[in-house]
Amino acid sequence: MSGSPILEARDLTVVRGGHTLVKVERFGLEQGEVRVLFGPNGAGKTTLMRALNGLERADGEILFEGRPVRSGGDRLRLRRRTSAVFQQAFLLATTVRGNVESGLRLRGVRGDDLRRRTDAALEMLAIGHLAERRRAGLSGGEAQRVSIARALAVDPAVVFLDEPMASLDPPTRRALLSDLEVIFHRLSTAVLWVTHDTEEALAVADRITFLARGEVVQEGAATDVFNNPATQVVADYLGLDVWLEGHVEDAANGSARFVLDDGTSLICAETAPGPAVACIHPDDVMLFLTRPDSRGTSLRNVLEVTVRQVRAAGRSRLVALDWQEQRIDALLTRAACEELAVAPGQRVFAAIKATAIRVLPRSGGNDDEA
Amino acid sequence: MNFILQGFYEAMRLLFTGDSATYEIALRSLEVSAVALAVSLVLGVPAGTAIALAHFPGRRLVVAVINTGMGVPPVVVGLIVALFLWRTGPLGSLGLMYTLQAMIIAQVLIALPIVAGLSLAALQQLDQGFRLQIMALGAGRWRTFLLLIREIRVPLMAAVMAAFGGVISEVGAVLMVGGNIVGQTQVLTTGIVTDVSMGLFASAVALAVVLMILSFTTNYAMTIIQQHGSKSRT
Repeated sequence: MSGSPILEARDLTVVRGGHTLVKVERFGLEQGEVRVLFGPNGAGKTTLMRALNGLERADGEILFEGRPVRSGGDRLRLRRRTSAVFQQAFLLATTVRGNVESGLRLRGVRGDDLRRRTDAALEMLAIGHLAERRRAGLSGGEAQRVSIARALAVDPAVVFLDEPMASLDPPTRRALLSDLEVIFHRLSTAVLWVTHDTEEALAVADRITFLARGEVVQEGAATDVFNNPATQVVADYLGLDVWLEGHVEDAANGSARFVLDDGTSLICAETAPGPAVACIHPDDVMLFLTRPDSRGTSLRNVLEVTVRQVRAAGRSRLVALDWQEQRIDALLTRAACEELAVAPGQRVFAAIKATAIRVLPRSGGNDDEA
Repeated sequence: MNFILQGFYEAMRLLFTGDSATYEIALRSLEVSAVALAVSLVLGVPAGTAIALAHFPGRRLVVAVINTGMGVPPVVVGLIVALFLWRTGPLGSLGLMYTLQAMIIAQVLIALPIVAGLSLAALQQLDQGFRLQIMALGAGRWRTFLLLIREIRVPLMAAVMAAFGGVISEVGAVLMVGGNIVGQTQVLTTGIVTDVSMGLFASAVALAVVLMILSFTTNYAMTIIQQHGSKSRT
């Protein structure tokens, strides 16, 4: 995952009907990398993917394997060295084998080579037993496996996946996701995967490019983006939707004080002094019925709070807490919630590590996107 | 009542004794309509595809014109072709009036909007993502077109049947631009009109039976192709 990008875009803009759908200054996808284009609906992820795949016209510069993609012929060459999988399988009116062969045939592969590569792709996606079945006899999950096998059979330099799991039920999705994790880590193919699903992104991504309103707002290793959202729009999308406003002071020796506008304060990791906003992920808030002894621990903040509400959040429980004039959320397992017997109106203690308090500079730029 | 039965017997005699005049008219009808249909397919399917996939100013107007064209009375088409091909008309110098070519032109103008309009409708019903998927597979324009056509072959066969039915049974336009010249431009429909006007019911019934057999046979063949396509489409 080093060296020059296999696919690169500079000053890429896609404008449709007077609206700018994508405006990306720089984007690079490296050989063998699994990159997730992540962000909310309408962020321009699909449009950017289509532009990079030569399916959508765009202004700016696209370089594939170091060569500029300008004309229709260049775009066709790009498409013949890459492949794509969409939300729907879009299988052709033929058998599973015929579908997997179709991309190879369009690239002029014939005879034994065609059969060998088709069989290998069918095997890779564990659908060899479906080879002679027609598309009407396939389930949604099987159809999507055929679509992925078709895309991988051509040995593409880049595979584009546009929300490939979006129309699958959870068990099918988990099974396919698990298989793809293995497949993509075995192949040297670069992958550009569009999704707005956090679980999917964390499962497959080497790196994440977060898009909002057509622009790249953060890019980095998957865990970095999830643990350290660079802007409020990213943090909001990742579920950090409780914001505290204040300013940072006393920054020294690895820690700082985040002073809220009402005068109360929290200890956070050292950061530049000045106006700021802070957010705390509900995962990072621990609840205690009695004040915990935080001496010698990393729990730098222990707050006395009142439970306002307890509600289900998937298999967990989200506990809304009132602290002074602020609101904080805590995410507990169902068992923990029952053990603590947390109920509205109850006084409990919330403990938060300094490093769990994400502090971002307060600037108007991204606030209105939240 | 008797003359109807007589007409039917006479029709059977003409058909089963291989009456050359009857078969000549039938073959001429088939020739004119088949050529007109072929030209309409060659022009109409790509036109319908292009309009279905392209975005350009005035597209809705073009679609409305095609849809209107599907319902224009053949006699109006005949009149327009006649005005152009008339000796003193814009294309009069070509000398096509009262020829098979003129009849083919008229029938093309009848069949073309049907083929283009129904192809367009079939493609519009296809998910736009399908075209992107075909392109992403590495298909150029021509292969994309062929794969899309393959995908809509069942509704496309319906368009072919509708267009063929429209031209083989049409009488007004071919009568006007062909002139119904015996042995030259007379086809089954115009032959029936002439025979009835002359009281030759037996001959008229014979031609009508031939027309029905021709129409049924070709539609049956096309239906078999369509239904086969429908099975293999899944």
